[in-house]
Order: sequence, then structure tokens, then C-alpha cells
Amino acid sequence: MRSRCRPIVLVLAALLALGLACPVVGAPSDTAKRTRIIVWGLALGPDSKGDEANIREFERLNPDLEVRVLSMGAGGMNPQKLMTAIVGKVPPDVILQDRFSVSDWASRNAFRPLDDLVARDRDDPLSPKPEEYYPAAWNEASYEGRVYGIPTGTDDRILYWNRKVFREEAENLRKAGLDPDRPPRTWSEILAYSKVLTKFDKNGMLERAGFIPNYGNSWLYMYAFQNNASFISPDGRRCTLNSPEAQEALQFMIDGYDVIGGYAMTQQFQGTFQGNENDPFFRGKVAMKIDGDWIPYGIARWVPRLDFGVAPAPVPDDRYYLRGRFAGEKDQFITWIGGFCYAIPAGAKHAEGAWRFIKYMTSQQGRLSNMRAQNAWDKLRGRQFVTRVQAHIATNAIISEEFKPSQPNIAAAVQLHIDMMRHSRIRPATFVGQKLWDEHVRAVEQAALKKMTPAEALAKGQDTVQRDMDEYFEKEKRPVIDMRVPAWLGLAGMIVGIALLLSNYRRHRLGPLARHEARWAYLFVLPWLFGFLVFTLGPMIASLFFSFTQYNVLSDARWVGAKNYQDFFAYDKQNMAKAFMNILYLGGIGVPLGLFSGLAVALLLNQAVRGMRFYRTTFYLPAIVPAVASTVLWMWILNADPQRGLVNAAWNSTLTPWFGLAPPGWLSVEQWAKPSLIVMGLWGAGSGMVLWLAGLKGVPTTLYEAASIDGASPWQQFWAVTMPQLSPIVFFSTVMGFIGAIQQFDSIYVITKGEGAGTNDSLLVPVYHLFTNAFTYFKMGYASAIAWLLFVIILILTLIQFRLAPRWVHYEVER
Amino acid sequence: MSPELLYAIGTAATWTGWIALLRAAYLACRLLTKSPGMSVEGTRRGLAFSALVAGIALLLGGTLPMDLGRPQTPAAFHWPVVWFAMGAYAWLGALSVVMALIRAGQAWLALTRDETKARLSAATIWGAAGVVFLGLQVNSAEPVTILRGQIPLSATTAVALVLLALGAIFAMGIAAGAVRARGISIAIVTHMALLVGCLVFGIPFAWLLVTSFKEDRDLAAIDGIVWVPRVSERVPYLNPERPRYAALDKDTSVEAEKLTELPGGKWLMEIQSPLNRVGATFEADPQSLKVVPKMVPVVTGTFEGKSIRGMVVEELDGGDRRVQIQSPPEVKGVEFVANSEDVDAVRHVGLNFKNYPDALLYLPPETQMGLVYLKNTLILVFFSVFGTLLSCSIVAYAFSRMRFPGKGVMFAVLLSTMMLPGAVTLLPTFLIFRQLGWIDTLYPLWVPTFFAGAFNVFLLRQFFMSIPMELEDAAKIDGCSFLRTFWQVMVPQIKPALAVIAIWTFMGAWNNFMGPLIYVNSPENMPIAYAVQLFQGQRGGEQHLMMAFATMAMLPVLVLFFFAQKYFIEGVTLSGFGGR
Repeated sequence: MRSRCRPIVLVLAALLALGLACPVVGAPSDTAKRTRIIVWGLALGPDSKGDEANIREFERLNPDLEVRVLSMGAGGMNPQKLMTAIVGKVPPDVILQDRFSVSDWASRNAFRPLDDLVARDRDDPLSPKPEEYYPAAWNEASYEGRVYGIPTGTDDRILYWNRKVFREEAENLRKAGLDPDRPPRTWSEILAYSKVLTKFDKNGMLERAGFIPNYGNSWLYMYAFQNNASFISPDGRRCTLNSPEAQEALQFMIDGYDVIGGYAMTQQFQGTFQGNENDPFFRGKVAMKIDGDWIPYGIARWVPRLDFGVAPAPVPDDRYYLRGRFAGEKDQFITWIGGFCYAIPAGAKHAEGAWRFIKYMTSQQGRLSNMRAQNAWDKLRGRQFVTRVQAHIATNAIISEEFKPSQPNIAAAVQLHIDMMRHSRIRPATFVGQKLWDEHVRAVEQAALKKMTPAEALAKGQDTVQRDMDEYFEKEKRPVIDMRVPAWLGLAGMIVGIALLLSNYRRHRLGPLARHEARWAYLFVLPWLFGFLVFTLGPMIASLFFSFTQYNVLSDARWVGAKNYQDFFAYDKQNMAKAFMNILYLGGIGVPLGLFSGLAVALLLNQAVRGMRFYRTTFYLPAIVPAVASTVLWMWILNADPQRGLVNAAWNSTLTPWFGLAPPGWLSVEQWAKPSLIVMGLWGAGSGMVLWLAGLKGVPTTLYEAASIDGASPWQQFWAVTMPQLSPIVFFSTVMGFIGAIQQFDSIYVITKGEGAGTNDSLLVPVYHLFTNAFTYFKMGYASAIAWLLFVIILILTLIQFRLAPRWVHYEVER
Repeated sequence: MSPELLYAIGTAATWTGWIALLRAAYLACRLLTKSPGMSVEGTRRGLAFSALVAGIALLLGGTLPMDLGRPQTPAAFHWPVVWFAMGAYAWLGALSVVMALIRAGQAWLALTRDETKARLSAATIWGAAGVVFLGLQVNSAEPVTILRGQIPLSATTAVALVLLALGAIFAMGIAAGAVRARGISIAIVTHMALLVGCLVFGIPFAWLLVTSFKEDRDLAAIDGIVWVPRVSERVPYLNPERPRYAALDKDTSVEAEKLTELPGGKWLMEIQSPLNRVGATFEADPQSLKVVPKMVPVVTGTFEGKSIRGMVVEELDGGDRRVQIQSPPEVKGVEFVANSEDVDAVRHVGLNFKNYPDALLYLPPETQMGLVYLKNTLILVFFSVFGTLLSCSIVAYAFSRMRFPGKGVMFAVLLSTMMLPGAVTLLPTFLIFRQLGWIDTLYPLWVPTFFAGAFNVFLLRQFFMSIPMELEDAAKIDGCSFLRTFWQVMVPQIKPALAVIAIWTFMGAWNNFMGPLIYVNSPENMPIAYAVQLFQGQRGGEQHLMMAFATMAMLPVLVLFFFAQKYFIEGVTLSGFGGR
């Protein structure tokens, strides 16, 4: 006994030793006196030496500060990390944040307003001055009249068109009455061009797309702004996502998809896209795209000889000809801008140092030295440096001269990006910016898939956003809850529990020995009891309480009654229904399939075969692979590109030539996403197999002997002897499988990277929905309500299963 | 004859052929195994008949001209195949209709009135189900399409298939003859099935490993997946214009090139390797530098009509490369600029081990090539295992062996918490840890393990229950305290169960993803599982590096599995005895 378990003790000891001994060398010694500024969101690496050089320069100029960039771990686009850090009182000092979401954070008091600093340092040449910035860029980082971020770059979008493709198709373009030497200027023109330039292969799949409405970086925002739509009413209180202008814009996008074979096929086509030198636009797989000011750099780096042209993005015909609604309009073309800004999260420990950092980085001097360093670095590596548009107006004038690209078409692209800044629009600065973005993406997808009409899809998104706005504006009416109440409630619960226990204890008349034993026993169960009260019962009560409130952790909780629960059936009905339908699909097909495949393998292994250990190991091995690692592996196996994905490579060499079936896009396609997930799960079905095997070994052989004497065939034996004997395992596995399936999260988060939930929400599951609500929108109250709904459903399912069990589960001992 | 009709005939013939072939194989197996009570003569006749039918039908199906607009590949035979492509409702509906027809037929043939009744009611139910499903199908308006295709069968494949079948039958015959054991062919079939299963389960692993050793250019291949990784040959090259120096910077050895000379005799150096520090600059004393060769790839190609072998001395813009010729001798040393199509890298079969250090080098510098991740994971695993074992065993001991008021209630509560989804307590627990200031630390991940999880307590309690009372009584008589009884008498008895729980906890802690996702922000505190996801987000496009990193992340678990396989598998069995 002793020797058998020695290894475990040894392993544990070794683990600790290793863990503690792992080197933490190179601890900074000279930095003790310097204040450390922690910066998130900057991606330093071989491709961004400018930032790095600039930071070193800043440190040289400010010897009392040390800048620490956390390269991995968080960043502008992972709101969940930033929020937990701010809420957890360990925020970074500076964050590089996407401007359009600034108001979102500002409304939650998550960022520090910078007005006082801007005003104080007006005489400092480094300090940012509002009038030196494009108003659109500056305003985007402001909220309710206060500045929360200092803009860095600013990206606008223009049309890129591949001249080579146009030349190749010149004949066909002319036949369609289109000029192959110039790009389209209006919506109807671009659709006509796209129709001619799109090519399908012999299986009817896309080979080249003329123009994909939402590829590159256009989104509905582009077309809606061109059509004079606004998403939020001027007073900021109403969401107008479903305006007739936006509907028209969305209809244009849908028409654009119809021209190239529909949204679903395009999704699949896009699943095979790669980056860098294999970018589909560079390779002529997409003839035209609307994209941002980062493209010239990519062209200069990967395909410097690309024959392309640029033009303002096509606009509605009436706008181009300045007629109808658009008569007297001053902008013939329109673009929209976004970009990043430096902000200081609330509660930052070194706000003053952070401000000095921001001042330097956004000053003209800082911007120029940044670009010069990057230029020098790129030159060194034999690359060409191409600038991007800055939000600081004066800087643009300097850089467009100093770093003018040698190729005329790249230079023209850079210049057009700068020029278009005068015709730019921004996404509305509203606290529901993130939600509006997410809902607009969802609406476009549903309308493009023809699940809904544009008006329906937009109306749904509008309702969802409006609800958040109402909630925000109405919150003053809701009573504030003192957060001590749930704490007291929890404490009261604990006291009642302990009192109950005590009274129970009193009722027993214990002798001295029994009392001695009981006291020891209480001491022994204390760890569990404490854990139960603090980590289970208390949180349960608190969570139930939260589910009746509106609470974002940073501001006061407000009592909303059963509103969160009503929302399941009101505004969030479709998402909730989708989430549970997905679970039904995943569980209803995945769990039985898992059971069945496990049983099949176990039956084979039960044939007293040689080498069973080997087989068992092989089948079991995938079950122990960490979920994250196995998901990452399967994402590559199921990659849509037949040149890279294992499954599609096999498909391409068998099913395609046999039946002419094109390989599916798996995880990126709505219909295949869930089956893919089920297949991933089946790979780990080995643990079930072991369980079945143990069960099979436990069936008494006498039963089989008796059955075969009675003349039962192997088939009958299986149904009459094996299955009843195995029924407890079936029962156990079903219950556990369903409970596991309902709580699926890890692999879905890894697949979606925490953004969206697959095409048309095909991977939206309850726990993921809960997580998004809790840690992306920080709606703790609503998330708690989902958690409780989940709890109740699991409870009911389990009870039903236990109630049904006696009908078909066979127990050796009657109970 | 219309092509449609021909197609239908061909397909029907093929399917018949396949079925007959299967039957022939089955009968052959039976002949070989000679199960008692079997008519050898009849089986032989059946075998011969089936084989004949199979042959004729497959030949017919294969030779009929079946070109229905699909481009025909120039292989010899095409076996036509027809398949209905339709949704789940349609399949369920079709199944129900078939079942209804079968049951109706059985009712018609039934002997007794009772049987007729039972069969009829079954037929009605199936029929109703069929109507419902077909109705749903019509309602869903999902198209039912007929997939028509053909499986090309070239002469070589056909020969190989026949040889394989012959070989298998021959092997089965020898085995049956030699051992004369009943069921040997079944064993062979079982092994075959198991091997196929192993292949299916093993291929992802194999692919993971192979990919982690591939070079960049093998990641995407037009003609299928590359299964044999190759590495480029490299030779040392001393660049006379830009020599490379080995130097020490911040106590680590680096390779660097000279940028400029600084006033005071020092040189400003720029790091070229390792990867994570490329581009950083430092000042160095020229005396401390040592010239080292740079490893450059070897290529073959043509130069002025001659085939040459050379090395790439410089990578130029737009994919061009400057090549210095090494052989043949008459043009040795000549340099020329080659288009990427003109020269081809010399490569040999081998493993590109460099992916592993490269993957680690891409990690943020503060993680010290991932060692910090490992450290965090090990700390997390150690404390989780330690805490779980300690707390669960002592709580389980109290619940199984000691009497105290309220025990029943408490145990019921403990059991019911097993049903509670983690999501319910997620948010308040987050707030508790926030109050404690534990965000961005590892504490929230392991501290709760010291408070006894319900499932493990339940499992250990079952184990304690099975230990004979006498042992404990003896200890009590000897005057042991409860703590000592627990520690010296009881714990040694349940070591196997503790081992199982230790392994589960190990796995749980190693794989824990949601915990770090919520609680940990900075790389210094990040465990491996989360790092894998971040790596996927940042460098996921570089498949080979991703696979190398994933391999490293799962390696410790696999090693543990191979050393403690018994406990893993026993453990699963233990957990399964809910009802037994």
C-alpha cells in the first residue's frame, strides 16, 4: 500500500519544487526608484518598432518613469479583461482604446475625464489641443461634453479596385456597358461591375467575387452614413437603427450579396481567405473592396507591384448626382472613420505619469519620432514604410511629404485617405456603442441570410439597443440598493443556518463521549461548512438578489423587480430561444452520439481481444487533452481551406471528384458549426468508453450462459441481458452528459475568441450568453437571472430523469 | 434508352453488387469458422451464388455509360452512387414510413389475433410519426435533392483492392486452420474495426505532431496535406559587408549586426537573433565581439542555362533572392539575383525542431519563454491537489465514520450542491474575490479547493464506508484521537481513491480556462491553458508555431497519463457507480 502511493507524494513534492524553483530571474533592480506606467493595448513586435522606439525615447526624456507594455493579456478589443481589471481595482495606467467604445466606458465611470489636464497644460507644447484635431476624431473620444481619450490615428475607408482584373474582364465589362478603365462611383454601378467580375467554378462555387459588401472594412455603417442615416437620435435618447435610410443601405448590401451568389456561399468563400501576401484582393480573388488606411502599407510590403486603383467608396446614385433627397448636399462622397485613442482608466494608480506618457505619444514630436523610427526600421529590413492617417491635422501634412511612397498608386491611395477625412462621419458617441455595433452586425447577418427582412432585422436590433438606453435613462427612477443589503441577507442566512444546526444539536441529548465525537466531527466538516456558506450559499443568495437588480459593479445597484426575468420573454426572447435551441441540438444529438460511440467501442473491446491496453489507451487519450488545446487543434483540422485543413483536404480528394460536392466551411458556416462542435466532442468520447467497459465487465457471465441455454441469439442477449445490466450507466451518462452539455463554454469561447457567437449566432449557448452579459456588457443583474434560469432548468431535467429512471433502469438491488 | 433510366439501372446494379459482395464475404467467414450446426454445402452454394451476382452486378454498374453532364475523369470504371441529400425531418419521415410498412406487413402475416393487433398499432404509430415528420419536412421547405456521383476505380486500385481482399481471406484461412479456434475471424474483424477506430482517433494527434515540425512552406499544399515534414538545408555564410557578431547583451548571448560607430569607439549593435529581441539595439565594445557565420538556405536552380547549386545570401524586395553559386566549380562565387520561381530550396526529410523554441520566443518577454506560465500552472496545480486531498478526505471521514447531530441534513445539502451549475455562483464569487483584492492573482483559482468540493467528498465517503469498522475500533481502543485515527489508520486505506482524485484535480487545474479568463490579466500570473487561447488569438495564423505550442501545453498531461494510466481509467470507473 505504502510503496504504491509513494509516487504520488513524490510527484506532488516535485511539482511544488518545480513551481517554486522556476526562475524569476532578471528582476529589475535599477527600476526601484522609477514609477512604473502600465500600458495596455499596444502590440509591440517586430512589425511595430516605432512605438517601441518612442517609448524608449519617452523614458529617456522622463527618467523618473518606466513604461511597461503588457503585450499579451489584454487590449483595446477585449473589453472583458479591461472591465474585470478596472472593477478589480488593478487597472492599467494607460489604455489604447477603440474610440467608438469610449462613451460606453465613460458612461460607466470606467475612464477618467481628461478635461482638467487638457486645460491645465494648454501652454505645454506637447499637450493636445482640441482645435488641432479633426473634430470628428476628437468628438468620438468624448462623451457628454467631456474628453476621455486623446486620438492617435484615424482610419477612413475608400474603394480599392484591382486594375488587372478589370483589364482581364474589359471585354465583358464593355459588353455590359461599363467602362473598364474607371472604378464604379455609385451603388448601382458597383453592383453592375460586381456582376460582371464575379466568377463561379464548375461546381457553382465562388471563384472570384467582384465586390463583397461587408468584406474589407465597410459594415452597414458605411452605406448607412452614405444614405444619411443616423443610428441615434440627436438627443441621444432614441436608437434609430431601423430608419428607412438604414433599411435602404441594408437592402443594398443584400443586393450586393445576391449578385455574388448569396451570403452563405460568400461566408464559405471567405472561410478560405488568408492574410499577408495571399490576401484575396492581392490575388485577384476579390476584385473590389472597401477598406481602411492600413492597406497601402500591406500592399507596399507584400505586393509592391500590384496594379490597383483607389476611389472614394461608391455612394447612392442620388447622392452622386446630387439630386432628390441629396440635392444641395455638400459631400458628394462619404466615408466613416474610427481609430484609437489613449485613455486613463478610472482608479489608475499613476494618472499623472500616464498623462505625461499620453501627452508625449500624441504630440506632433512624438508622432513624428514614432514614424521616423518605424521608417528607419522598415528600411533596414528592406521594406517600404507607408504612413497611416493621423488624427492630428498638422502631422498629416508633414508626413505625406516626408514619407511619400515611390509608387504613384500607393501615394495616391495615401493621399485619398487623407483627403477623404474632410468627408468623414463617426459612429454615434453613445454609451450603447458596443451594443449597437453587436446588434447591427447581427441584423446584417440575419437579413443577408434572408432569415428576416431588412426592416425586421433592424427593428429587432433597434429594440434591443433601445431597451438598454431606456434602462439607462430610467435608472434614476429605480430605487438604489445599498450593497450591504445582500451582504446582510447572506449573513442572516448563515446565522439562521447555524442557529438551526445548533437547535438540532441541542435537541440531541448527548453523553460526554458522544459530545466529544460530535465536536471533533464539527471540526472536521468545518472546511466544507465554511466553503459552503461562503462560496455556495452566500453567493447563491446574492445571485438571486442580483437577478432582481440592474447592477454593473461600478455604479449603484438598482432594484428592477422581475424585469430581468420578463426580458427572457421580451426583448431577449430570440437570443434566449436561440441559445436553448442550440443546446438542444448540441445535447440532443451530441449526448446520444457520444453514448452510442462509446458503447460501440466498448463492445468491440469487450471481445477479449489481444492488445486491449493499447486500444484502450488510444481511444482514451483524446479525452485527457485540455479542452482549449483540443479546440485549437480542431479549428485547424476543420479549417475551410482545403490546402490547410485536414478534413477538407480529405474531402477535396474524395467527395469533390466523386460527387462534385464542395467542402463545407465547418465552423464558419451556420449549418455546419454545431455538427463540427459535436465531432470535436466525440473525439473525447473515450472517457465514456471506459465507463461502458467497466459496466460490461461487471455483467455476470452466468446470465449469458442462462440466456444461451434458453436459445437466445446474440442480438437478443444484448437487448435482454446486457442493456438492462448497463442501464444504470446509461442513466448516469445521460444525466451527466446533459448537465455538461448545458454548461458548454470553453471550446465555444476559444472558437469565437469572445466576439460574437458564430455565424447567425449558431454557437450561442446559455453560459456564453451569460458570460457576455456579465463580463462584456457588465449586466450582472441580467446575467444572474440567466444563471438562475439555468439552475432551474438543470434541476428540472435532473428531477425528470430521476423520476423516469425506475421505468427503465434496472438495479440489482431493489431500493 | 434515356440516360436517366440507364443511371437508375446502373445504380441499382451497383448497390445489389455491393450487398451481394458483403454477403459473400460474410459466408466466407462462416465457412472458415465452421460454427456448429451449419450446413457447409448450403453455405458454399450461397457463397458461389453471391459472388457471381456481385461480380455481374458490379461489372454492369461500372461499365454502363453514366455521363450525365458531369465531367468524366479518364479512369477505367466509375461506380455510380445515388444518395438522397435531405434534412433530418425527411430522413425521419422516410424511416417512419418504412417501419410502418414493415409492421403492416407483419400484421398481415401474423398468426394470432393479439399479434395482429400489436403489429397494427405499431404500424399506426409509425405511420402517424411519418405523417408528422413529412409534414414538418414540407413545412420547412428544405429541398430534397438527389446526389448523383461516381467513384472512380482505376486499374491499380482495383487490383490492390482484390489483392487486399484475397490477402485478408487467406490470412483468415491460415489463422482458422492453425488455431482451429472458434471466432478467430471475428477477432480479426474486431481488430480491424479497432485499428480503424484507432486511426480515426489518432490522426488528429499525428497531424498535430507532424504540423508542429513542419516548415512554413509545407503548411499549405495544393496537392493535399503534407505528411512528411522536410527541412531546408542551410550552410554557414560569412557576409563580408555586413558581418554578424556574437555578443553579450544584458547577460544573454545574442547575434547582432553593426549599425554605426559611436563617438568613443563603441559600436551601436542591432540584434538579429533570438527572434524575440530582433531589432533591439545595444552598445558594445568592438573588442568583445566575435564574427560568426549566418546560416543561409541552400538552393538549386539554373544560371545561364547551367543547373547550379548555391546559397541565398540576401532576401530582396518582392520575393527575389540574391544567390551565390557554390557549384559547379567554374562559376563558383558568382552572385546573381534570382526570381523566386527560378531557384528551389534544397530540402531533406526531417523535423524542423526550430518551431518549438520559435513558438516560445514569440511569447511576451515577461513570461521568460513561457517558463512563467509553467510556474503559475504548477503552483496552481500543486495547491489545488493539496487542498482538495486534505479538505475532502477529512470532511468525508467525518461524514462516513463519525456521529453528530445534523449529519443527515448536512450530507443531503452537500449532495444537492452537486447539481448547482457553476454559473450561479460565478458573479458573486467574483465580487467576493474583488473585495479581497485578489483579482489578477492566482488565489481565486486555488483557495476554494481548500473548502472541500461536494463530488470528491461523496466519492471518498463511499470509500471510507467500505473499510471495516474493526480497524477503527482497534485504534480507538489503543487510545488514538480522532485526528490520529484519521491520519494514521484511515488515510492509508483510501490511498488509491486519493490518487484518483489527485489526478482529476490535476487535470481540472491544468485545464482550467474560465477561471483565469475572469481573474487573471497580466502575463506574469497566467497559467498555460489561458496562454494557449491567447496564443491562438495572436499567432494562430502560424499553424506550425500554434501546434508546437499546443503540443507543449498538453505534453505534461500526456506524460502523467502514461505513468498513471491505471488511475485515470479506474477513476472514470469509480465515478460511474452512481447506481451500482
